[in-house]
Amino acid sequence: MKRMFLPLRICLSLILFLFIGLPFIALLISSIAAGWQWPDLFPETFSFRAWEYILVGSSGTWQSIGTSLLIALIVMIINILLAVPAANALVRFQFRGKRLAEAILFAPIIIPPFVAVMGIHLTFLRLGLTETILGVVLAHISPTLPYMVRAVMVSYSTLSTDWENQARMLGAGPIHRFYHVVLPHLLPGIAAGASLSILISLSQYLITFIIGSGQVVTLPILLFPFISGGDPAVASAYSLLFAGMAILALFSLDMALKKYYQTKNPSVLKVKGAKR
Amino acid sequence: MWRKSKPYLLLLPSTGVIVLLFFGGLFDGLLKSLGYFPAIGENQMSFIAYRDLLGSESFWESLRLTIRVAAISSLLAGILGGALAIALFMLSLSSKTKHSRLWQRLFQLPLTIPHLVAGYVIVLLFMQSGLLSKLLAAAGIIKEINEFPVLVNDAFGWGIILAYTWKEVPFIMLMLYPVLARIQKSWRDVSRVYGAGTFRFIREIALPIMMPSWIIAVFIVFVFTFSAFEIPFLLGVTYPSMLPVYSFQLYTSGTLAERPEALAVNIILAVMTIALGLVVYYFSKRWKITKGWQ
Repeated sequence: MKRMFLPLRICLSLILFLFIGLPFIALLISSIAAGWQWPDLFPETFSFRAWEYILVGSSGTWQSIGTSLLIALIVMIINILLAVPAANALVRFQFRGKRLAEAILFAPIIIPPFVAVMGIHLTFLRLGLTETILGVVLAHISPTLPYMVRAVMVSYSTLSTDWENQARMLGAGPIHRFYHVVLPHLLPGIAAGASLSILISLSQYLITFIIGSGQVVTLPILLFPFISGGDPAVASAYSLLFAGMAILALFSLDMALKKYYQTKNPSVLKVKGAKR
Repeated sequence: MWRKSKPYLLLLPSTGVIVLLFFGGLFDGLLKSLGYFPAIGENQMSFIAYRDLLGSESFWESLRLTIRVAAISSLLAGILGGALAIALFMLSLSSKTKHSRLWQRLFQLPLTIPHLVAGYVIVLLFMQSGLLSKLLAAAGIIKEINEFPVLVNDAFGWGIILAYTWKEVPFIMLMLYPVLARIQKSWRDVSRVYGAGTFRFIREIALPIMMPSWIIAVFIVFVFTFSAFEIPFLLGVTYPSMLPVYSFQLYTSGTLAERPEALAVNIILAVMTIALGLVVYYFSKRWKITKGWQ
């Protein structure tokens, strides 16, 4: 039986290599190539010039990474504050206009957000919000918030109100109830939403460009001139850095969550045990 | 009273922000596309921008390109993603190990890659002097650099199609795998008892179960590609350009007169995506994609 699936496994490995491996190998080789002429399968000489330029040169890479992360983090915090009560209302209450509220909150998934950003651009200009971090943060909220709401809704839908009622009977006030009962349960959902929020915010180009007018230099803004016909080695190195930053941001969030559960392990175990 | 107004209060901040920033932006854009712009003394509304736009050949060219690229890339991603999802599922049926999770994780890597990087990967691999061309030359299949077809910055949009296919295959897999995972292992055994081989099992059981979600997933990818900017901006040509790029070109071309036209393109784009989104919503509700089947 197992033998029958060996060809399938080989086939999948091959596809995986072509699909994931080859692009990264191409980026990696190109980033350390010193001139890579056409028929040569490998560059004749290698150099770390491109990496040197973007990491230690005066290219402004670190500053742009800082700006990117700062914007992504502020957007994430705003999204959490907005999404938790919204998800609570959408999951736990039946009320008139619920579908309208859902339609409003999820509209930016379907309608491209740059349409709204281009529309509001001149108004932002008058309010002095263009070319500022605050303006870019505001522009990043609508593409990211729907995903955060969606993720927290999933968590809320598995949380029974019984838990809070029990805590209430034991004398916990609303703040205690939220902090000790609701929040630990929502955390995986919040983390999933935060990952998406960070990922989407980090990879925005057009919206940042319109509102930031080239003055708010995030990593995508900085690397665009290189990948649209600039030095291929620098472009490849920047691409790897950019992809790495996104993956690392997700990874560290994942780790932080695991660590949280490790330190809080006893209480979580108890809750899980009681549930069964 | 408190009980009744509580959900509204909880929703107020989030919907308020979206209404203000998103729908405010749409409305602002709509007004300006109609030429209403008090700050520069324009108080009249007219459909001039829309009339000019619908009368220009470049708009229709853009629309055709956008539909073509979105249709081909979503179909390609759908076929590849569907095949890979079934392959991974069959693998998980055959082995008890946790390998299939690792496979899935690896295949989902392109989802986390920013669009600009995905676009550049396609440039590196598929341009005339790119890696694939070098590989073909090394294998002796092509002799001149010109023998490799122009796939990047080409008028047909192959580069954009390739980039989107690469980005969206993992998405399709992500949508389909949970549906396939609901097939019990025992079903496979029962089908074998009745004499169905692997391919019969796929055709008679896996495919019909997957089909509704597959159609929805492909449609979602279609809508996403419709409103894409970064990849066509990087991999397309100046003319014809995909609608979002066309709008950006009009908006940044400098003259104030063309801005209403750019915003009109946006409004048309928004109306089309809303219509497509409603179709997705209607069918996913009707086929109960999000719910389980009993």
